[in-house]
Amino acid sequence: MKTILDWLDERTGWRKIKEVILDRHIPKGVDWRYTLGSVTLFFFVLQVVTGILLAMHYSPSPDHAYDSVKYLSKEVPMGGFLRSLHKWGATGMVVTVFLHMLRVFFMGAYKYPREVTWLSGILLFFFVIGFGFTGYLLPWDQKAYWATTVGAHMVEQVPYFGAGLAKIMKGGQDLGAVTLARFYAIHVLVFPALTLLFMVIHLFLVVWHGISAPPERETPSTDRRDPNWKTRLQARYLELKSQGKSFWPYIIFKDTVAVTLVFLIVLGVALWKGAELEDLANPTDTTYNPRPEWYFLSVFQLLKYFPGKLEAFAIVLLPLIVVTLLFALPFLDKGPRRHPADRKWLVAAGWMAVLGLIVLTVQGAYTPLTNPVGEKNPMVMEGKRLYGDLHCEYCHTLHGHGGTVGPVLDEVGIRRNQDWLANHFRNPKKVTPGTKMPNFNLLDGEVESLVAYMSTLGAGTFTAKAPGLFEENCATCHKFHGVGEEIATDLTHIAGVRDADYIAAYIKDPIKLNPDAAMQGFSDQLTADQIKDLANYLYQQGK
Amino acid sequence: MCPSDNKPNQPENPQRRTFLIALITAMGGFISFVLGGSGLFYFLSPAWRSKKEDWVEVGPVDSVKEGDPVKLDYVKRKMDGWNVIESPSSVWVVQQKGEWVAYDPHCTHLGCPYRWDASKQAFLCPCHGGVFTKDGNVVSGPPPKPLNRFPVKVEGGTIYVLPEGIA
Repeated sequence: MKTILDWLDERTGWRKIKEVILDRHIPKGVDWRYTLGSVTLFFFVLQVVTGILLAMHYSPSPDHAYDSVKYLSKEVPMGGFLRSLHKWGATGMVVTVFLHMLRVFFMGAYKYPREVTWLSGILLFFFVIGFGFTGYLLPWDQKAYWATTVGAHMVEQVPYFGAGLAKIMKGGQDLGAVTLARFYAIHVLVFPALTLLFMVIHLFLVVWHGISAPPERETPSTDRRDPNWKTRLQARYLELKSQGKSFWPYIIFKDTVAVTLVFLIVLGVALWKGAELEDLANPTDTTYNPRPEWYFLSVFQLLKYFPGKLEAFAIVLLPLIVVTLLFALPFLDKGPRRHPADRKWLVAAGWMAVLGLIVLTVQGAYTPLTNPVGEKNPMVMEGKRLYGDLHCEYCHTLHGHGGTVGPVLDEVGIRRNQDWLANHFRNPKKVTPGTKMPNFNLLDGEVESLVAYMSTLGAGTFTAKAPGLFEENCATCHKFHGVGEEIATDLTHIAGVRDADYIAAYIKDPIKLNPDAAMQGFSDQLTADQIKDLANYLYQQGK
Repeated sequence: MCPSDNKPNQPENPQRRTFLIALITAMGGFISFVLGGSGLFYFLSPAWRSKKEDWVEVGPVDSVKEGDPVKLDYVKRKMDGWNVIESPSSVWVVQQKGEWVAYDPHCTHLGCPYRWDASKQAFLCPCHGGVFTKDGNVVSGPPPKPLNRFPVKVEGGTIYVLPEGIA
């Protein structure tokens, strides 16, 4: 064994490397706050491992991205868990990289001789944010699509170059296939490579200079007026270092404990919350409430305070100032003073910035949703999509469009029950001998989705009593085809934006769907049948 | 600043050192177990997950004459990962005295598509000269076993096969 190790040492010099990296002494006073960098490093490893696994079941094209993520989450063993871990790992990484930066800021650890360490760290911070932004487009669900749409429009606000920059970002005029492939390549190839490169630089510098010692108070006489402050600091550093313990195993122990605790938290949240997959991206949807990931909420909220032309200021100038300040920090705040009490103004400014960020994020999170959130039946949506994919409209007419070979489907939900529909889709000729409808050999899930969709068609005719119900209960506030007051929303075109189920649920309990609703629920005054009747009336007559 | 100037510090307690290393190993082991275990389970899962096939309609009964093997083509709609694909495939169907047999259209040697030669009354494989009888048994050539059979049934004048383990 020893001869093998000796042989290896002669060829690789591993003993010296081990001595430099593992046996190096860490200054006295390095405590738990210093574990944040290691925790962030752990998150990077976690994201790489889970990310590689996720990539094995992902297809970066708008046709397949959503389905592949759904498949990965639902069908592949451990797929949902790993995706959840990746999602919450991203959140954790944003938190720890930010806290790590704050620690370095408040301790003045970016000062001589660690300026370059700080610069590489700031770059790494932006890569983490970039990972987040490019990552959440990939599932191609509603959140992904709309958040990126908003992001692209923000880029357009840049004076002169905005339109061009947005096109470069999207890979063209529209957000689509090229955008997704671009974001994917950047997320899994460009950013990991750059992050790795700058992480190596960052860590090399950390070892080269040694971990910064906890800041100590300075007296006016030992300030920059002391021409030998650099030498004095170095000497003091060596002194603290000689009093400290070796990196392995003492400091690594602390790091491992912190990493394990944080991992347990992320593991718990990942198992508890899971990773959401919203509905498939739908560029025509006008009822969706686009919201960014929580770490962009501050920017989201900020934009509300800068209307019109001032917006360019918030989108372009403000971030530019922040970025410049971050990079310039070690050149603006120089000299030996590191202790927060010796840098009162800067520390106060730092706290203000953090406080502002927190306030904006919280305000952003509590922004009321403009569009009420309605439950959609995913089976119906899947059925609708399948109706298009299978080109049912070549033979059938629905809502006035389509062929005339097969029957009109507008009211098929009333004419046929679900069993009949299911049998019909499985084997049309058996159910209707002589029919021209081909057997599509549909899969079980496809039959279920189509049945769910067909059942909604025409479902909900209304009775002759419905107009009377409207006049008695609704007309005091709502207008509908010329009847009633216009105190609340005019409901004449309600069917364009809401379906009958939604309207019924709203009449029953408006607050549930819209927390700001002034209307009270009608579940006490009206029976369930009456509410359904009313909803169908508003829906059918509101087209 | 040179990083290697490690001066000896206060004497270390070797027991504490061993204890810490044990704890580091335990915690690292735990994380590796959770991550590695779930990742490996995820990566290796294709090995034990099998796909359930459905009966496929391949044609009407009168397309097959007594004693003459017929190749019936069909398009099967199936899940390929997250895609629904329509894959064309075929099956050899033989009917003798009311008994139905369906053969996997791939030679049992290396999966080449064999054909029926009516004059020789044998299935001939074009790749390495495998020859099978109408019953699917090997006559000559390298095939190691008789032709693979699919479950087959006739319902209401229609032939259905269950193409399990289709290549």
